[in-house]
Amino acid sequence: MYRDHAPALELRGLTKRYDDGTLALEEFDLEIPAGAFFGLLGPNGAGKTTLISAVCNLIRVTAGEVLVFGEPADTMLARSWIGLAEQDINLDRFLTVRETLAYHGGYFGMGRAEAEQRAEEMIDVFGLAGKRDTRAPRLSGGQRRRLLLARALMHRPRLVILDEPTAGVDFELRTEMWTYIRRLHAEGTTILLTTHYLEEAEALCEEIALIRDGRLIARDSADGLRESFGVERLDQVYVKAMASAASTLLGRVRADRL
Amino acid sequence: MTGLVWLCRRETLRVSKLWTQTVLAPVVSSLLFILVFGLSLGDRIKTVGDTDYEVFIVPGLITMAMVQAAYANNASSIFQARFDRYVNDVLSAPMRAWQMTLGYTVGGLFRALSIGGLLLVLAVLLVGVPVERPFALAAAVVLGLVLFAALGLVVGIHAETWDHTTFIQNIVILPLAFVGGVFYSVDVLPAPWHELSHINPVFYLVNAVRFGFIGQSDVSIWLCLGVTLALAVPVYAWAQYLFTTGRKLKD
Repeated sequence: MYRDHAPALELRGLTKRYDDGTLALEEFDLEIPAGAFFGLLGPNGAGKTTLISAVCNLIRVTAGEVLVFGEPADTMLARSWIGLAEQDINLDRFLTVRETLAYHGGYFGMGRAEAEQRAEEMIDVFGLAGKRDTRAPRLSGGQRRRLLLARALMHRPRLVILDEPTAGVDFELRTEMWTYIRRLHAEGTTILLTTHYLEEAEALCEEIALIRDGRLIARDSADGLRESFGVERLDQVYVKAMASAASTLLGRVRADRL
Repeated sequence: MTGLVWLCRRETLRVSKLWTQTVLAPVVSSLLFILVFGLSLGDRIKTVGDTDYEVFIVPGLITMAMVQAAYANNASSIFQARFDRYVNDVLSAPMRAWQMTLGYTVGGLFRALSIGGLLLVLAVLLVGVPVERPFALAAAVVLGLVLFAALGLVVGIHAETWDHTTFIQNIVILPLAFVGGVFYSVDVLPAPWHELSHINPVFYLVNAVRFGFIGQSDVSIWLCLGVTLALAVPVYAWAQYLFTTGRKLKD
């Protein structure tokens, strides 16, 4: 069983170098307390999706350790605690909405009756009742996003990872998803959110980590970040932090060449 | 084990939903072979050994249809899952690698057995094919299908495009099946074709299945089963290795 009071997520020296030589994460350390609403911000290619993939056993890590509520992330127990809504729409084209949810529940250990009952609950919660027997390719963009989120929550995970869940969705759906995610957090679920929308991170997250080029640049609450960077807005923090990281990286490259 | 059951269910559901493509089309295609080659040519080639020609070709045609289906099903299922990235739903789930390998293999077996079962019924009705050695037939079918279903997984995991999966089917499996003694006994071939037939793995599988049906084979049934087993084990182990290490699946 999991250790009481263990952090929801611990990354120790996590390094990922892809086969083409790209270093996506380098000696990355991070700890996210249980019950937190944690935001991960960074430009494209910063390493956010790689980090998430490492936690969810979707890539082979080069070095380091990932613990989920104190358990190694590749154990069956840890896997059952994680729910992931990926950035890309990756729904099984052969399954209907109901089947998508029920089969996901089954993969995560639910029996048939439980999976089907829970799938109906999620269909109602996410407003997909009219599309229950529709296959994923026939859903609208917004309905697919809702289904991705419903699938991630289907097996009642303790740690929910949302990789840019509101990318490309309209304001109405984004607000609706925020409401649902907030409610989920209020019920005690730990949330790890990556987003490009700074206002989204500020509105939702208790703590924010800024990453660039596979390294952690800063981590604090939105207020704490503004204070430490001596600015008034989070977008100013972001610009300043990224510029500083870029110049540090440039310095490292120059030093390596000398 | 729950995850394994659901994965098997998913793979068989896919076959059922696409039944016109996955089952009906191969059955019609093989039936045409039986009608065209067996019933029309059967008037000119009366017997092979002691067996009527239309009966002689049935085991080979059923084998050919089944191995192609087992391969194609798994190659396309896993490739599609990788291509659309919904394989991540399985890879992130609390399932062991052996359960994933077995779950995906079952889809190919289900499709191949559906085709084989239907063809058997039709062949019994049309040409009265017997089943002389049911245990040998069962052993041959299981080993052959595991071999080609696992091969489908390996190719589907390594493939970068759809062409890669169909290339193996069209350039390797189909020609090997055609020259594997489906339509003739290799005993009638002159040298070196007779000897060359013995390095074709499909030849052994066709003969093992033919032995199960009509009790007649160009080589020993034990050699046939042994060769098929010797190929099935490493190919299945290769598929298992890919799921265990995540190579090509988690790159």
